[in-house]
Amino acid sequence: MSGKEWSRMEETLDNLRADPHPQADFKHIGRRLGRRLDGVVKASGKAMYTMDVQLPGMLHMRFLTSPYPHAEIKAMDTSRAEALPGVRAVLRYDDPELPPSADLGGHVPSDEPILPRIVYFEGQECGAAVAAETESAAEEALRLIDVTWEERPFVLDDEAALAPDAPLTYPEMLVSNQYNQGLLDMLTLGDVKAGFAEADTVIEFSSTRRLHTWVGPERPCGVFTWNGDAPEVWVKQQRPHVCKRAISTWFGGIPMNKIQVHCLYQGASFGGWSQVAWNLGGHYAAAVLSRRTGRPVKWTFTRREDFFGGEMDEGVYYYKVGAKKDGTITAVEGTAVLGNQMWPVFHFLKHLVENTRIPNISGQLKVVRVNKGPTVPVRCEQNANTHSLTLIFDHIAAALGLDPVEVALRNDGADGHDTDWLNERKAERGFAVRDSLKECVTKGKAAIGWDENWHPPGTRRLENGRMHGQGFTWTHEWDDSAGSSEMAIRVERQDGTASILGQGADGGQDAEATYCQVAADELGFRLEDVFYNPQFDPGFFRMTPDSSTNMSINGFAIRHAARLLKEQILKAAAAPQGATQRGSFPSPFPGATPEDLDIKDSVIYLKADPEQKISMAEFVRPAGNAGPLVSHENLGARLPFSVPLFAYGYHTQTGTYAPKQPRPRFCRQTHFMEVEVDTETGEVLVTKVVNVNDVGKAINRAACEGQQYGGTYMGVGRGRSEEVVYDPVTGVMLNGNLLDYKIATLLDVGPIDTLLVETGMGYGPYGLVGIGEDIGSVMPALIGPAVFNAIGVWIDDFPITPDKVLKALGKA
Amino acid sequence: MPKAPNAEALFVCPYCQTRTADFEALKAHVLAAHRDQGAPLPEGWIRLAVNGLDYRLPVEPEWTLYELLHDRLGLIGAKQFCDRGACGSCTVILNGRPVLSCMTLAVECDNNRVETVEGIAQAGHPLIEAYANNHAMQCGYCTPGFVVAAKALLDRNPTPTEDEIQEALAGNLCRCGTYPQHPIAVLEAAAVLKERTKS
Repeated sequence: MSGKEWSRMEETLDNLRADPHPQADFKHIGRRLGRRLDGVVKASGKAMYTMDVQLPGMLHMRFLTSPYPHAEIKAMDTSRAEALPGVRAVLRYDDPELPPSADLGGHVPSDEPILPRIVYFEGQECGAAVAAETESAAEEALRLIDVTWEERPFVLDDEAALAPDAPLTYPEMLVSNQYNQGLLDMLTLGDVKAGFAEADTVIEFSSTRRLHTWVGPERPCGVFTWNGDAPEVWVKQQRPHVCKRAISTWFGGIPMNKIQVHCLYQGASFGGWSQVAWNLGGHYAAAVLSRRTGRPVKWTFTRREDFFGGEMDEGVYYYKVGAKKDGTITAVEGTAVLGNQMWPVFHFLKHLVENTRIPNISGQLKVVRVNKGPTVPVRCEQNANTHSLTLIFDHIAAALGLDPVEVALRNDGADGHDTDWLNERKAERGFAVRDSLKECVTKGKAAIGWDENWHPPGTRRLENGRMHGQGFTWTHEWDDSAGSSEMAIRVERQDGTASILGQGADGGQDAEATYCQVAADELGFRLEDVFYNPQFDPGFFRMTPDSSTNMSINGFAIRHAARLLKEQILKAAAAPQGATQRGSFPSPFPGATPEDLDIKDSVIYLKADPEQKISMAEFVRPAGNAGPLVSHENLGARLPFSVPLFAYGYHTQTGTYAPKQPRPRFCRQTHFMEVEVDTETGEVLVTKVVNVNDVGKAINRAACEGQQYGGTYMGVGRGRSEEVVYDPVTGVMLNGNLLDYKIATLLDVGPIDTLLVETGMGYGPYGLVGIGEDIGSVMPALIGPAVFNAIGVWIDDFPITPDKVLKALGKA
Repeated sequence: MPKAPNAEALFVCPYCQTRTADFEALKAHVLAAHRDQGAPLPEGWIRLAVNGLDYRLPVEPEWTLYELLHDRLGLIGAKQFCDRGACGSCTVILNGRPVLSCMTLAVECDNNRVETVEGIAQAGHPLIEAYANNHAMQCGYCTPGFVVAAKALLDRNPTPTEDEIQEALAGNLCRCGTYPQHPIAVLEAAAVLKERTKS
């Protein structure tokens, strides 16, 4: 390993101290940007999404869905559907061209039936797909398919699935309804028995989190067509590389370099479908029918079909918490029964280990399959953790009669150690030793008027007749996970502007602008001279911002690419220009070495004499359409061609999801909520929210704030009204639409403060951590303590709907 | 000329459904009453002014205005989010009023005026810049619906208060939660409009 490679490795392991080029001051990073990069195209309706794609001769494909929560197709007659005018092809589960299973995407290569014959939840795509001239013809044809079903017993309730006599919910795949035995089912730290013995107070309580889901504005969809033997595919997918990987394994193998994937703007899905393996069943069926009909095929889910599936915190939680009188928590024991997690890898008490000093923890996680859609990380996989941490801390604070803010500060730490230990770790890694939690608490308390408004639970009635309440919660920032990224930058001919190349997959986070900020600062370019077309697929792999890791991984890749490119530019500027067989011409900086040069505002200059300069545009231009002409040399002019300027950077890390956590997290976040509870109607009004996030270093301020207020609305909806309801008798989903499943509207939250703290204690470039997943995950459970403070009764059943409030008040 | 069994029913003016006794009388009526009107619309066609342009369009009875605009005319700014009148993403302005195009039948829009987000942008309405300046979008899927609803508000109330803006946009859903930025953007656009009117 060369010295340079070693330094690069050190940098990625131990960012701040090993950074060979620390930036003292930033020109673009951290600045509030003006007009949003994609603002005009989105506001003017010009932004194109996969749902908008129409190709000449395109057919529309829809799926048969199961009317039963658990059933088997015994026979199917599609003749009436095939005879319907406008229907061009029907694909059946027993079609000879369909393999028994295929890789249909998801986090890891999967092996799934494309049109399953056996279904495990009501609404599951199964059995048949119809391609027709119009969507309505396809829909009508589906109704003409005669299916002989054999119904099977089903289970909807997570705990009922554990009963010894419960029917198997997925008998073809599982021998037991609980399927995480031995797979992160236990989390143990210290000795809980000893911990409870030490405690002055021990409380026990349970909570319920009802199923909620992503509600991506753009429905799942895709378009598949063949150019000869090369597929051209439009995907609504946060991870287009997953689609490409899966498609390359189909039909006996398709070379990756023949697969053209378009990932246009995406009506967000917050994780959601992008991680569900069989979401590519649509593409597979479309691929077959496109080849069969010789026409492009677009597949869509209906809005209701989009509702199947949800976030993986759904279930029941039982907690036992012991603490001393001063609020020091001595032990936590918990059991959770959670439903349908596709990846049961995130223990629900993990945050207690990652950001508290609680020495004794024991948690048992039981993940069960029930006959509902799969649950996956939906902004995000930490929801079960934030739910648990909030309720554990706020319940014990209330039981001790202490301010929950003080209880948080008292228990801050990591891995069972206190803040002294944590501070040593900060110092070891070259971070400034700052008390992130305290800084976040101080800012947040002032913003919401915490101390002035504090009152015992259920004691403050406002003039409008409602009860006032306020709640607090906190945790650390967890965006330091596993991932890989490769990004490149090319200097364009003619004007010397820079194009960032990375896999496009816009979800609205404004990540593209953030990459431009980093590249511009590192290159010494003007911000307007750096651009990232988010819809371009150069074939480079990138962590898309949904993947729990955007800047903490992509930030390294783009920063490294920019630094290498700058080296190239300076080397080229110092070298003879336009070497041809007839000779070459001197450097614009004769006698200078690359080290003598620098770039500022897209102008290369001699450090010793800044008046000696050449703009990037001059340096690369002009790109004549005829190439170099002899006349250039006769006139003594520099040949209009310099070395191609292109550099790539990459980054890969296991982050803190490594089995043995290599690095404790240092950045904290605090959240404060004020509510008013109408004791006559049971309505909870969220009147103010204050978010304080230590982001380490803010690169794109507006984007950070967007995640703060955006996450607040999503979180308040989840905490207050969002629940996917099933009929217990039939197993049929009852509210798969936006009238009956209520997400937050503009009027549902009062003013939201978006405050940032920048301690620089993150492992990402410039000491940053993420922010995108935090608030939407933390906010739902925060409504619990706020409502408790208002009415003096705990409602540990989320969402906290008016009927539950009235019941708690003894009025229903 | 063959005599039809029900001659009276055959000679109906294709413009105004006036009935005439024979073909010659119909011809005379058409020349007198409809000489300047161009060819009559075939059955199942409508006339629609979209962003100031005159369209003659065949429509199926079940088509919604959304389908007509989005799928047939390529005006993709109207977006389908909820598909049942719950989210506002498909909002267009029909004869001056904001309507949900997914809940409006195209055949009912004969001789109407429609304004879409594309028309609003093309006319240089300050809302577009104001939305971009204030980051009043994330994924952007619902954004055009907000812009159209805001335009309809500013048309009838050029100086709205923040409360009035909230009220006007309360029917639009945004899953990314960009809500706080919308009133800021609309107020900025209103200020620009005011300046423009002055000058």
